[in-house]
Amino acid sequence: MIGTDGAVGTHPTIDLGCGTLCTFNYDSLISSAIAVAATLGVAFWIRSQLREGEPTKVQAIFEWGYDQLRSLIKTNVSGDALFIIPLAMTIFLYILIANWIEVFPLAFFPILHGANADLNQTLAMGLIVFFVVQWYSFRVLGAYGFFYRYTKPFELPLPARIVFIPLNILEELVKPLTLALRLFGNIFAGAVMIGLIATFGTLQLPVVGSLPATILGSLLLAVWKAFDVIFIGFIQAFIFMLLTVIYFGAAREGLEHQHH
Amino acid sequence: MTDHGLVLAGALVAFGLAIGLGAIGAAFGDGLAGNAFISGVARQPEAQGRMIPWLFTIVGLVEAMYFINLAFGFVFLSNVPAAK
Repeated sequence: MIGTDGAVGTHPTIDLGCGTLCTFNYDSLISSAIAVAATLGVAFWIRSQLREGEPTKVQAIFEWGYDQLRSLIKTNVSGDALFIIPLAMTIFLYILIANWIEVFPLAFFPILHGANADLNQTLAMGLIVFFVVQWYSFRVLGAYGFFYRYTKPFELPLPARIVFIPLNILEELVKPLTLALRLFGNIFAGAVMIGLIATFGTLQLPVVGSLPATILGSLLLAVWKAFDVIFIGFIQAFIFMLLTVIYFGAAREGLEHQHH
Repeated sequence: MTDHGLVLAGALVAFGLAIGLGAIGAAFGDGLAGNAFISGVARQPEAQGRMIPWLFTIVGLVEAMYFINLAFGFVFLSNVPAAK
């Protein structure tokens, strides 16, 4: 694993001949295309399950989740910011499905990995959230309020607030980065652990023979996948969605300070 | 000791330090979250159902730092150049 050709964390690239910006990690492209197709499939399947009057089980679960998300947005952002629901719901469903796809033995196909195990993918989602939040902040607060927000905390006198401007800009810029790194770190480290555990059976352990080692390795892999892929995958998808909503809430800070 | 051996040894020590020290922080954070959760349940047992999702959210946020450590540890470790 150390110093070999297919080092962990490097991706095979395809170069279209115009520099860094059109060099693609084609394995990540294929993996995320599969995740996108699976998300669309699940979404249309949920759509086909909707019944008026007597809800099906899937419908009941998703209506409950939708209600939770709507009340979360109402308490954290505002009642008229319901345009966040489609964005947050899409992010949640896509990350969840992209994470849960790793339950299948992707390592049989060398070009496949969990879609979120590439920093480019998670950073793209983080940047989308960042730009939509900035647009929302500009629309709600207006041009003056948008820039006034960077002089938090509002209670302090003006000279003290000027000192805080670089810190506030840094805080804003770090948000998409932490979103991206958190998701990438979890999924990538989980995938590396899956790789390590999968080689457990091939280790020539002197105490146990190779057959018990294989059985033990498979059991360990099942337990680890149940914990890391199913549980951590769900928690990370939820956290990404939750922080998205909270960043929207932070984007309207200073609204009550504006007109006085 | 060859150059490659030296680099590899340094990388392994750094990796061990990174995940070891990172684990301390994650363990502290998990302990604090669990402490607050148990105190909260002891004070208001009926609020347990509302607390559990937030407990796991906080634990997920805390553990994320450790997992970022682990992931970048693996990335750095696997980028040690091969022996000549």
